Amino acid sequence: MKVKTLLFAGGAVLMGASSASAGGFQVYLPSQQSIGMGGVGVGLSMEQAAQFLNPGAMAMLRQNGVQVGVSATFARLAFQPTTGGEQRKLQNTTVTPFNVYASFGPKEGKFRAGIAVYTPYGSSLKYENGWEGRFSLKEIALRAVYLQPTVSYAITDQLSVGAGLMILASGSVNLQRAVALPSAEGSIELDGKTKAGFGVNAGIFFKPSTKLSLGISYRSKIDAKVEGGDVTIVNSIPALQGRFVGNKFSATLPLPATVNIGIGLMPTDKLTIGADVNFTQWSAYRSLRFDFSKDGAPAQVGLDTFSESKRSYDDGLTFRLGGQYQLNDKLALRVGGAYDISPVKDGYVTPETPDNDRIIGTAGVGYNITENFGVDASFMFQAILKRTQTEADLLDNGTTDRVAGTYRTNISIPGVGLRYSF
Amino acid sequence: MKLFIKRTAPALGLLGLGLAGCQPDINAPSATAGSVDFSSYVAVGNSLTAGFADGGLYNEAQATSYPAILAQQFAKTGKGPANFLQPSFSAERQDGSGYVKLLLVSNMLTPVQPAPGPPPGGNNFLGERVAYTGNRLPLPPAGSGALELEPYTGPQPDNLGVPGISVLSADQTAASTGSSAADALIRGAARIYSNLNPYYQRILPAADRGTKDYVTYIRQKNATFFTCWMGNNDVLTYATNGGVADATNPFSGMTDSTSFGRGYRNIVSTMSRNGTVPGMLANIPNVANIPYFNTVTVAGVLDAYKAVNPAIANIYVTARTSATSMATVTRAATAADLLTLTARAYIAANPGLGASPLAPIPSQYVLDPIEQTEVVNRTNQLNGIIAKTARQNKVALADMNAFFTAIVQRGVVANAVSNSAAFASGNLFGLDGVHPTPRGYAVIANEFIRIINATYGASIPTVDPNSYRGVQFPQ
Repeated sequence: MKVKTLLFAGGAVLMGASSASAGGFQVYLPSQQSIGMGGVGVGLSMEQAAQFLNPGAMAMLRQNGVQVGVSATFARLAFQPTTGGEQRKLQNTTVTPFNVYASFGPKEGKFRAGIAVYTPYGSSLKYENGWEGRFSLKEIALRAVYLQPTVSYAITDQLSVGAGLMILASGSVNLQRAVALPSAEGSIELDGKTKAGFGVNAGIFFKPSTKLSLGISYRSKIDAKVEGGDVTIVNSIPALQGRFVGNKFSATLPLPATVNIGIGLMPTDKLTIGADVNFTQWSAYRSLRFDFSKDGAPAQVGLDTFSESKRSYDDGLTFRLGGQYQLNDKLALRVGGAYDISPVKDGYVTPETPDNDRIIGTAGVGYNITENFGVDASFMFQAILKRTQTEADLLDNGTTDRVAGTYRTNISIPGVGLRYSF
Repeated sequence: MKLFIKRTAPALGLLGLGLAGCQPDINAPSATAGSVDFSSYVAVGNSLTAGFADGGLYNEAQATSYPAILAQQFAKTGKGPANFLQPSFSAERQDGSGYVKLLLVSNMLTPVQPAPGPPPGGNNFLGERVAYTGNRLPLPPAGSGALELEPYTGPQPDNLGVPGISVLSADQTAASTGSSAADALIRGAARIYSNLNPYYQRILPAADRGTKDYVTYIRQKNATFFTCWMGNNDVLTYATNGGVADATNPFSGMTDSTSFGRGYRNIVSTMSRNGTVPGMLANIPNVANIPYFNTVTVAGVLDAYKAVNPAIANIYVTARTSATSMATVTRAATAADLLTLTARAYIAANPGLGASPLAPIPSQYVLDPIEQTEVVNRTNQLNGIIAKTARQNKVALADMNAFFTAIVQRGVVANAVSNSAAFASGNLFGLDGVHPTPRGYAVIANEFIRIINATYGASIPTVDPNSYRGVQFPQ
């Protein structure tokens, strides 16, 4: 598979993930093998997804290979408004985050080069019609596809380093909400594509013995910038037309940096255990601001020429543990789990990320059909813990642009992958 | 890879269907009535209880009166009224008394006040279907001669709200002013109150008209739970008239605390059957907080004049000179003088009014600081009586004075929609500047539910205020 083909594939199936698979709107679905093991892999050099997890580990791979994977996220949410009324749900939508990795290098060489396409951030939620939070959000689709050419170099047999150029190759945001008019409801839709953004994914991998390996990686922040996005407004009250003049918007959404530390243990030939910690600098996400304009000049939409909504995220931490047991030449069994500490503070929960701490369980199998060709299946279940915020919490934090109530979400993420090595 | 996704997607989809059982559930507390039986809920009160809005009583706003919202929510406990009866107008006369509408006049949003009366004299050009019969109530001295509204002919309603009624006018034994002549006059007027007030007249059976006072009328109901929000008009009528009592109307002043206490205790003990029937009383909000007194400002009028003639430095008003005397003087207005909403139309009709000491804004359009103090003091005094009566009858008390003050200070936000006490644009107060919009009534109902839940160990769900409209804008 050539780079061009990969790019085409990325463009053709532009995808995000349903309200993420790690805190905030982060999507942590590195590969089907890693997902089966709770998402670990920073301290391992098992597979091509090292390019994402830890570019430093890529040089330790012994085989050229191509692998693709796709997941399907099924988010099921329950919302109980404090103002009373029925429990609300999402309209069921399915999104399919994917991953593509390929790496090439001389058989016994110290260098290895690769290319990766993945979707590290995204969110897609569509709330039930008429739900109480519609003035905050009816629907969001946030997508970011990263393209990453990578090189990795083994300094010694035990130590290797690697780095990739992360390119936000394709991204889009679509946000819809109801607009409160005195005696009617209007609506607003913001739709835009992100400009290209650049960052770095770098890592160090150290394998002091056949039974132990360690890794650390860093992915830098990329600001997803939208300029000249479209604003579409439905307003049935002519007297208020002056409030809805802007037809373009610009906005910047930080796709935050992460620091990842991992350890790998190989007590026997058949057993691999990994443990990772991900530190995501969500504190970069202070607020979500849209600036509105018409013909290049600031123009009013709603009460002002801009809208700003507090986020004030904390940094996020995720702890992961997973293992693989190679039953025989053909079959590998995987299991894992994770605990994700939400970056979203009390009183700051928004409908677009109805976040809380998450408990994650995963399982997976790998099957080698031939010596070179294998398939992987993975399943991840996330329970986003129940979280309540009251109108008083919102008033205290100046975050009354969102809805008071109780959220609870479960996400099921099955996935399959193919890998070919040569 | 496209092919790969194409082939695997259906399989993943099937798996997804199998996961439908993953829908989480929040075990929200179910609605319960606590210790109360709501099966016969009766609401006693004035225009606020009747669902009066935009200067009129009409079916659409009445349908969202706070008692109607409460009854609807009580029903969710399974112990609520099966059917809460409101004295609405017939469908072909759904606009009742007519009401103020916002219209685009020369591209300006303008509140248009209906001319009361049957078509064609009424507000016909707006297509209103008003309920005036063309008759009048008995002429003075037997009555007020007011225009008669379509009578309500059903069984006695559960919403007994009567726009305009005060405690003093509700009880023919209340008046205790210290002057027997005045007492006789007021008591007599309370007895024939249905000849004075067309909203009371229309809900009374013909045989009771001119003889049955409000306390006697409400005694006919056997409530299992009641709310009583009365007393507003015992200060409001005086205040909205700029602190000027109408000599021909015995109920246009501020009710003295002795008379009020007597009447109020009669009303409450009638409904509570001397403390045996549960209920909730609501007290009197400080009227100076309402948009009626905060929309037309001295500064605004002055700015408008200055735009025409920059030499104008002051606005002149007629104001009281001391708390102990009704004497007035003409003086330059200050920011502390509250102008009534009705001053806008009056000034528009009398160009230049207030620009010179020779033509001051008349006293009935100005609530000056002396009058404000007078109104606040009396409100507090009457609220003291209301609180004591609540304790004596062992019923809940909603402090609407504190609640309205909080709304004025920081508005109300619900589900990402901000509402404020601002005229028209704030969503909570309607176009008369005094009465709530349907959304305002929903916010009030939520506060009452909170108090009832807290007092009686109930868990009655509140409503989403955003499901109720603010001011009706032309569409």
